[in-house]
Amino acid sequence: MRTGEFRTTYAADMAIFETPLARWSLGVFLVLLFLLPLMATNYWMDVVNRICIAVIGAVGLNILTGFTGQVSMGNAAFLAVGAYSTSLMANRWDLPWMVTVPIAGLVTALVGMVFGTPSLRLKGLYLAMATLAAHFIVEFTVVHWESVTGGVNGTSVPAARIFAFALDSDTRLFYLIASIAVALVFFAKNLFRTKVGKAFIAIRDQDISAEVMGVNVYKHKLLSFGVSSFYVGVAGSLLAYQARIISPENFPLSVAIDYLGMIIIGGLGSILGSILGAIFITLLPELLRLLTGALSGALPGLVQLFASLRIGVFGLAIVLFLIFEPDGLAARWHTIKNYWKLYPFSY
Amino acid sequence: MESLQSRRNTIRGAVVIGLLFSLEAFAQGEIKVGGLFDLTGITSDVGKPYAQGVRDGVQWVNENGGINGKRIRLVDVDYGYKIPEAVAAYKRMTGDEKVIMINGWGTGDTEALKEFVNKDKIPYVSASFSGHLTDPAKTPYNFFVAPSYSDELRAWLSWVKSDWKDKSRAPKVAFFYGDNAYGKAPIEAGRRFCKENGIDLVDEEIVPGAFQDATSQLLNMKKREADYAYINVTTTGVSIILKDAKKLGLSTKFGSNPYGFSEALPGVAKDAAEGVTGVMPHVPFGEKVPGMKRLTDFHLKNHPNDTHDALYVRGWSYVLVWSEALKRADKDKALNGEGVKKALEGLHNFDLGGLTSNVTYTPTDHRPSTKTPIYMIQSGKLVKVAEYDMPRKPEWLGL
Amino acid sequence: MNFFLQLAINGVVIGSIYALVALGFVIIYKASGIINFAQGEFLVLGAYVCLAILSSGRVPVVPAFFLTLAFSAVLGVLLERLILRPMIGEPVISVIMVTFGLSNILRAVVQGLWGTDTRPFPALFPSTPVMFGPVPVSQGYLWSLGSVALLLILFSTFFRYSREGIAMRATAFSQQVALSMGISVKRIFALSWSIAAIVSAIGGVLLGSIRGGVDGSLAFLGLKVVPVTILGGLDSIQGAIVGGLIIGVLENLSGGYLDPLLGGGVKEVAPFIALVLILMIRPYGLFGKVHIERV
Repeated sequence: MRTGEFRTTYAADMAIFETPLARWSLGVFLVLLFLLPLMATNYWMDVVNRICIAVIGAVGLNILTGFTGQVSMGNAAFLAVGAYSTSLMANRWDLPWMVTVPIAGLVTALVGMVFGTPSLRLKGLYLAMATLAAHFIVEFTVVHWESVTGGVNGTSVPAARIFAFALDSDTRLFYLIASIAVALVFFAKNLFRTKVGKAFIAIRDQDISAEVMGVNVYKHKLLSFGVSSFYVGVAGSLLAYQARIISPENFPLSVAIDYLGMIIIGGLGSILGSILGAIFITLLPELLRLLTGALSGALPGLVQLFASLRIGVFGLAIVLFLIFEPDGLAARWHTIKNYWKLYPFSY
Repeated sequence: MESLQSRRNTIRGAVVIGLLFSLEAFAQGEIKVGGLFDLTGITSDVGKPYAQGVRDGVQWVNENGGINGKRIRLVDVDYGYKIPEAVAAYKRMTGDEKVIMINGWGTGDTEALKEFVNKDKIPYVSASFSGHLTDPAKTPYNFFVAPSYSDELRAWLSWVKSDWKDKSRAPKVAFFYGDNAYGKAPIEAGRRFCKENGIDLVDEEIVPGAFQDATSQLLNMKKREADYAYINVTTTGVSIILKDAKKLGLSTKFGSNPYGFSEALPGVAKDAAEGVTGVMPHVPFGEKVPGMKRLTDFHLKNHPNDTHDALYVRGWSYVLVWSEALKRADKDKALNGEGVKKALEGLHNFDLGGLTSNVTYTPTDHRPSTKTPIYMIQSGKLVKVAEYDMPRKPEWLGL
Repeated sequence: MNFFLQLAINGVVIGSIYALVALGFVIIYKASGIINFAQGEFLVLGAYVCLAILSSGRVPVVPAFFLTLAFSAVLGVLLERLILRPMIGEPVISVIMVTFGLSNILRAVVQGLWGTDTRPFPALFPSTPVMFGPVPVSQGYLWSLGSVALLLILFSTFFRYSREGIAMRATAFSQQVALSMGISVKRIFALSWSIAAIVSAIGGVLLGSIRGGVDGSLAFLGLKVVPVTILGGLDSIQGAIVGGLIIGVLENLSGGYLDPLLGGGVKEVAPFIALVLILMIRPYGLFGKVHIERV
């Protein structure tokens, strides 16, 4: 029996899906994914939709932070830009989702590039602070630009439509969101086989050397902000169609922190990591809610305690993950995979 | 190897818990009511006693015959005053739990959910008294148990007019409110009322959701020389404003909305709370009214060492109102969303024993009552000083 | 003129509280290069613990205060050992996340133990304000200004002349070299976290007594600290204090003059706009050390 993988052509080396097993399992997964609505209740479809949106956003953030090394805390702000652009286009000019979603992405990309300009001079922590400031500035704008955003009362978004067929339930919306998510994930995975993607990685690892070697660092940093914000903008746009009601309260700073948590727990610089992290962070509050709900049925006096417990457990989960799995879920997954790949010679 | 095994165990455990949870739902003879509360968010200082009032009220109803023999099961959810969580909880309550009606909380999320509630036909009795929820033509499934924030503000402004003794000029009034749906709810109504009644609205100050210091806003107000100011936040915010005002030596007389004014206020603001007025649609706990006996008896039996306030009374009164509607709907064999709505709209002059004004809903008007008592803090105690009954003007419906 | 003066003086006194929190922030950064987003929660914990000690009724004010400080010191050491020690060497972003997670945990602990109500805090100072010309200032704020000034002198001397202080600066500059010189880096970290916790606790107690009540929302101060430390320089003690005062004044002035024009909320966002401007012009702040990057 063979252990390990052996590649004999350049094409095989560059392939995204390295083994036939990988291709087959992906196929099966996709089939199951699209059969999901038949098995799940309405509420869980809402959860799945939110997971898919989170996946798009997390992949976007990972492109910027994990692959290009630019720390950004502006994710919530960019989601808001995408969501409100879509709401504006859908409400005022009655444009279909096929137009609003990409345009929202482009608008957010532009905004992202604007807020990315400090990255020329700032690194690491300082860039994080700048993006933090960007978050508050966008929040202020959203709250006060009432003619466009409806201010604090928020705005409702009409349902996405495919001709006359309204996608007004989570089950129907799922196919749209999942398809877009799958497409964008493939695009991202492929991005890092290209020259641009490799430039991003070079900037993360050693940007001064990259500049010396001929990579136009500033242009690529801006491009990274742009691509990442496009993803986040699309996520925000889909969020608007899914939640149907958006207000500034949908985009607090804790959302940006959640996304950072997703990519760190999932694994920085890994597309699979973004997916795993998105699933984990979105599901964790749901599981905690189920648990405390079941327990408070039995011990009603402790409802108050459980409410605060949820926040604490969430924080604890993040801390524990970072201490014990600093490279993220994706790294753990790869370790397990490699163990089986090389079995029985895995030492 | 170990991690795979433990992962499998976790999955098994989760499945078991999930099954247990869904088994409970199959219990017969239960009426499910959703409860959306803020126990941990920015309005939790008033959200917690209210939630306790609702829970205790439900327990009391269940112990005293239930809904014609059926038990109420309160699906208790804390959403931390975050609208997205409220929407998610709503989807779960109506989709999975199949609740008949919901006892909601905050203005932001209630107004956000009003279209969903309309489409799904779920009666939504909210702790938010926003005037925007009173017009059945726009929000047929929204109810609340108190005069609307707008009517309450109008009542307070009427008190201002009667308290103002200088005939040479109009009284000058300022509004303090938060930059959110709850804060802004009654402001437009207040503006119009001032204009129509010869009150000079000189200043509007915005305070953020959570703040430590209101000095710059107060200094601005001082420049405009406001004689009175209405604060539309919650108790914590009110006490900060009062203390800062006292420190600055302002002579402005302050008033507060029903979520900023309760027995807790003198305790937190101490002497800065003297002379402050407030709208109190529900009586303080322990007030000598016939309806209070149920609450005090329950309190003595179950948690005699806790303190309670008007918010607790508010929660109780809500349960009394909608459990009555559930009983009537059940008698009419219409225990569903539409049936409960009709039952609520059939409540005419429903007597709560003085806990709050009698409740009347009609299919064209969801304002339950318009009588607003005004209380003032004197020597650290809440004393009723006035009561105003706003006319049910059609142009005020939905404002 | 009066209006301006009132705003400015109020800004200075509020800024002194910001300075206290920023001080703790800077100390941790100075010694270990970690940004501690849980600083606000230290403030809250300090206030609640002091309240709990005072409420037991058996301890007078001054010993209660010092007990609170002792508690904070222990807390700092504990947190450093349990949570931050394993994060040595991890990328910056992971450490930031850990402190966010930590702030969640601390917030939950506070909520679980003491609930979300506003607890009345005993007034440690008489409530009559002191007049600075036409401007009344609460005595509590004067105490905070005083303690900030005291701490500024204390820490400046500490970092410049004492052995531990110099050791801290050495560790911040290069952990490896410090280790090879025989400095116990672990002890330095523990020390810096305790100091930061103590300083925040002082701020918490002062703020609690000024406001007359404590509740969880005090922790939002932790975010306000970000513009303060960027303005002052992430690794400068004087910067934290000067930055705190400047941001306090800036907030109040923009609140007083711009709020009426722009419809409110400017007070909250002004420090962050200032933050962006500072980052564009002088990223290392007024007093921070400029980092030269080498390949």
